[in-house]
Amino acid sequence: MSVAIFRAMLLGLLRDRGALLMSFVLPAVFFVIMAEIFTATTGDTLNLDVAVVDEIGDDTSTRLLAALEQSPALRIERLGGAGEAARRTLRERVRRGLADVGLLLRADAEPLDSAGGFGPEPIVIYSDPARAVAVPMLVGRIRQAYFGALPDVAMGNVVAELENQFLTLTEEQHAELAEGLAELREDAEAGRSSGWSFEDMLAFEPVAGDGGRLSLVAYSAGAVAFMFLLFASVHGAVSLLEEQENGVLDRVLAGPGGIGVLVNGKFLYLVLQGVLQVAVIFGVGWLGYGLDLPGHFLPWLLVTLVAVACASALAMLLATACTTRRQAQTIANTAILIVSALGGSMVPRIFMPESLQQLGWLTPNTWALEAYSGIFWREDPLIEILAPMGAMFGTALLAWLAANAVAQQRMYGRATRLRPTRRTGDQLLGKG
Amino acid sequence: MSSAEAAAHEQPILSIRQAAKRLGGWPALRGVDLTLFPGEILVLLGPNGAGKSTLLSAACGRLALDTGTVSLAGEDPRRVAGVRAQLGFVPQHLAVYPYLTVRENLEVFGRMMGVPRSALPARVREAAAWAGLSGRLDAHSDALSGGMRRRLNIVASLLHRPRVLLLDEPTVGVDMDARERVHELLRRLRDDGLGVLLTTHDLAQAEALADRVLVMLDGRIRLAGSPAQLVESEFHGMQELKLVLREVPDAPGRALLRSLDLRPARGELAWTGPVAGDFSRLGELDARLREVGLTPAELRVRAPGLEGVLLRVTGEEIGP
Repeated sequence: MSVAIFRAMLLGLLRDRGALLMSFVLPAVFFVIMAEIFTATTGDTLNLDVAVVDEIGDDTSTRLLAALEQSPALRIERLGGAGEAARRTLRERVRRGLADVGLLLRADAEPLDSAGGFGPEPIVIYSDPARAVAVPMLVGRIRQAYFGALPDVAMGNVVAELENQFLTLTEEQHAELAEGLAELREDAEAGRSSGWSFEDMLAFEPVAGDGGRLSLVAYSAGAVAFMFLLFASVHGAVSLLEEQENGVLDRVLAGPGGIGVLVNGKFLYLVLQGVLQVAVIFGVGWLGYGLDLPGHFLPWLLVTLVAVACASALAMLLATACTTRRQAQTIANTAILIVSALGGSMVPRIFMPESLQQLGWLTPNTWALEAYSGIFWREDPLIEILAPMGAMFGTALLAWLAANAVAQQRMYGRATRLRPTRRTGDQLLGKG
Repeated sequence: MSSAEAAAHEQPILSIRQAAKRLGGWPALRGVDLTLFPGEILVLLGPNGAGKSTLLSAACGRLALDTGTVSLAGEDPRRVAGVRAQLGFVPQHLAVYPYLTVRENLEVFGRMMGVPRSALPARVREAAAWAGLSGRLDAHSDALSGGMRRRLNIVASLLHRPRVLLLDEPTVGVDMDARERVHELLRRLRDDGLGVLLTTHDLAQAEALADRVLVMLDGRIRLAGSPAQLVESEFHGMQELKLVLREVPDAPGRALLRSLDLRPARGELAWTGPVAGDFSRLGELDARLREVGLTPAELRVRAPGLEGVLLRVTGEEIGP
């Protein structure tokens, strides 16, 4: 009997192009947008727009800016001029958001190639507090350029400082030093390691999957998939309330199958629709971003089944507990937005404060995200993601049982739930 | 076969005894008895809030009675869900899926009601033939006329071949021609042996269809019988006098009207009752009314019908 309502809903979806679009195309489009944002903002390709005024214009400042321009993370915009007018222009560009950060190489300060500490700083960074993160990023790049592209300047400053405070070099030593610094400069300009750059001391080893970009694609696929699962499940489940309004429910309730026919038929349909929806999103991740779906198909399918069952059962519980579509939609929209925000569907959980990350564990979004991340990001064995899967399965089971019980109570046992107001049989049959 | 004959020969397919139900403190049903026999059409009449729909809810097992019993084919439909297969319920709304074809709707509702898959094609053809929709099986239901959709709405509850059909105002919003097609369908179902129980506000429909009528008021059955019996019980073979006043009568006026065996409705502006003799009495009556200060807006004599019966019994006008 439940297969009949499953078939009715399926035909309804197939004949409604708008619903098809909303169910399968919109989530995929949304996923692509989110994947682009997530990978752009959390990978190593974040770009900063840097407006620059070089008042010094000597060999050192020119080499520094040239090194900065080589950095793929920076888009350098050189502004002409000098003095207060140029500085005002620089400040204005940052203030209006035309540049993320401003960089001034001051002429009225200590030289760039001096040891420093006795006069105004030669490098000034103009920053907008709203984009404060741009400052440490630019500082890091300047430091990298300073030691990597200008090792002769850096080392020359160190020697000068040593001479100032601790020792005196002979003329011969000065000559050798000048020769060595010139070699350092040649190496740097030729792209050879000088041994002076701090980066020469660093090695990098990714600990997750196929690299950060794919991990974040997997994350955003799970994030978007579960949020849309919730929306689509609620949309399908509230058709129960439409059937209450148009009398189909009354017809079915009078039959031998009772309300269980509708609740379970819709649940089955929502599960199928949800699996297809998630498959479309991860399919786009596979074909468009190289996510290894075929290599993780079985665990993906298991996680998807419990995630879909969880979303579908929660939606059915909501639909059976509410009395009108409007009530159900209002509650659902509010709840979905909250659990999606807390659960990491809107913003990656790693960007959240610790307290919110902990709170996120109360949401099914986090369970789904952790399970998908375990598969695609950390490449965990199935046993490692049993906890989030168990949480989803348990919730699905409880919500499904509750939905059936609530429906049974509401449809056949209303007498115990009536408020002390006059209700007519017309109201019982959904007419008032 | 008349209902009296049916009662003599058959057991009721639906029987409700001393049904009482309070809804939110309001006594929606107060000791209602109802029996429905196979092969009869029983019409429930009454104003809004009389308890008709509550009684239908109890009959199909959706509502638990405070006291009293419901027996459908010998079983309580709330305790034995399987016995609800004997029941077809036709909601007042057009309870079909607009995006499905006639055939698909019938298949879906047939399966929901437990019709075996193998029997479904034949049942669908049979139901479509009953409804006069054999040529429209592949039409989307939202492309049907209002009357066709009404008939589809009815036969969608018949695929599992119930023995009882409950209909809640089955012809609301359809034109006369379509209504007559629905009536034909219900008569054929009755002739095929179904027990048909319907609620309606349409007195003409009740007169045209009913083997028996139950008039409900305030949760009680106030009158029961065939339309002819009910008319006879109130008008005793006489004509019906219907009087509509411009103002509510004062005490002397009210006393005069009651002495004429007229009963009030519509807040004492409308009065109805039996009247003997010819129309020449109207002039005399008009004069007597004016003597006590009553000004008729309408005064007429007509053949009595259920409308007059209900006006006298319930004090309310019932109509579509």
